[in-house]
Amino acid sequence: MMNHDQPSAKDRCGKIWSGMQLLKDTTESKHFLPTGLEGIDTLLGGGLRQGQLTEVTGPSSSGKTQVCLHSASLVAAKHMGVVMYLDTSNSFSPSRVATIIDGSSDVFGQRGFDLQPKDMRLKSVMRSIICESVFDIFALFEVLHQLEGSLLNDKVNNGGSKICLLIIDSISSLLAPIIGGKYPQGRSMMISVAMILKKLADEHNLSVLVTNHTVSAGNGAVKPALGESWRAVPHVRLVLSRECGSNICTATVLKHTLKVFPL
Amino acid sequence: MLSEEQSQKHITTGSGDLNNILGGGIHCKEVTEIGGVPGVGKTQLGIQLAINVQIPVEYGGLGGKAVYIDTEGSFMVERVYQIAEGCISDILEHFPHSHEKSSFAQKQLQPEHFLADIYYFRVCSYTEQIAAINYLEKFLGEHKDVRIVIIDSVTFHFRQDFDDMALRTRVLSGLSLKLMKIAKAYNLAVVLLNQVTTKFTEGSFQLTLALGDSWSHSCTNRLILYWNGNDRYAYLDKSPSLPVASAPYAVTGKGVRDAGNSNHKRVRVT
Repeated sequence: MMNHDQPSAKDRCGKIWSGMQLLKDTTESKHFLPTGLEGIDTLLGGGLRQGQLTEVTGPSSSGKTQVCLHSASLVAAKHMGVVMYLDTSNSFSPSRVATIIDGSSDVFGQRGFDLQPKDMRLKSVMRSIICESVFDIFALFEVLHQLEGSLLNDKVNNGGSKICLLIIDSISSLLAPIIGGKYPQGRSMMISVAMILKKLADEHNLSVLVTNHTVSAGNGAVKPALGESWRAVPHVRLVLSRECGSNICTATVLKHTLKVFPL
Repeated sequence: MLSEEQSQKHITTGSGDLNNILGGGIHCKEVTEIGGVPGVGKTQLGIQLAINVQIPVEYGGLGGKAVYIDTEGSFMVERVYQIAEGCISDILEHFPHSHEKSSFAQKQLQPEHFLADIYYFRVCSYTEQIAAINYLEKFLGEHKDVRIVIIDSVTFHFRQDFDDMALRTRVLSGLSLKLMKIAKAYNLAVVLLNQVTTKFTEGSFQLTLALGDSWSHSCTNRLILYWNGNDRYAYLDKSPSLPVASAPYAVTGKGVRDAGNSNHKRVRVT
């Protein structure tokens, strides 16, 4: 279902779209990639939308990396496409992915997913996840340019599947060393990253998920990091929070282009 | 990648309960932050890890060396010697048929050898700290058998002297990314010891780890050490693959061990 002939990148940019073409494109090719976490999928209206940049923010240990790992596992397990996972804190753990898949195997059983033996399934899932460690902003630029290049050349990754989900956990740790201070280069790099991500999402029908951390906003409140310029960048922003000592996390929507929330 | 992770060895902390909540011990290729009030045992745990990483492969350890970056001057050599002796006596107790192991490995089990394999750096200001971490990469390229880098404590020089908070955040996040990179590239564990501070939240003062909110995102795992009455407890606060849990431990004459027998315990000094 995901490997339709989608309009190639050359067709998309520079072309003038009519309203009907846009509607057709949205209903036919902009699918939602489920994260596997019911509450979050409901808040997101189905999942991570292709062509959009979704941001998950929250204080430390509120579950952001878990959301990323869940989405990566689920998308890979359902053979929706290849997942590219850019990790800045060495948190990507294949054994955690295995636990997640084993945990949701009953869901797969209901949907008629082919029940291969556990290690075969795990191997095929791991093959669909490309995990790379990036530790500074320049490495990120390089990875994104390479990705753009390989997508433009229509090279198929991993035997026939195209990449459909790009996860960056966490983009704020890469941007933190350069923003702030008197020199504006940091903020301009942040905006360039934002533009490249949105371009990738739009031209190649990717869903992009990034995580951000929080900083204090005075009087004990917290606000997402990266400042005012970043606020306008993601299409959907979610805030996670976890109560002290419990395993329950709550998610709140800060911004969503498609939904209206009563104030 | 999965097979690589499964074959990853962990560095035992000396206490079985602590190892359990950590998933076997301190993980290599990850940055672990350990924080707590003064006197709860952070430096003891740091020294214990520097010794435990050297347990030879034949006895279930990693057989690697340690780098200890000391910012406060709390590295007491006599205590390290004591802990090394305690570790060796535990190994010999655990592996009674020592004639099966190679005699070379046995000869290596001397406290002097353990001390010799700890590379110690003393830094006295934050610029020295930054320089030491920048130098680490070159150092590790030359000494490939280092398996753990301990920084005790990462907070000390950044708490005073800094007027510009934004600069402090930038410097610290750059530092943490470098440490992440080193952990991954050289396949070693990085352990950062942190102090506590008070934070005004929800109308009251609470103790939280120092260096602010942005720093709390810069580690892969976080362990908080605290007192519960007269007992020491460790609480796993952040981990990508393990649930939160707490476990008791004790600091004895031999080092960090399970809290079980209440004799030998060094009690809380108030």
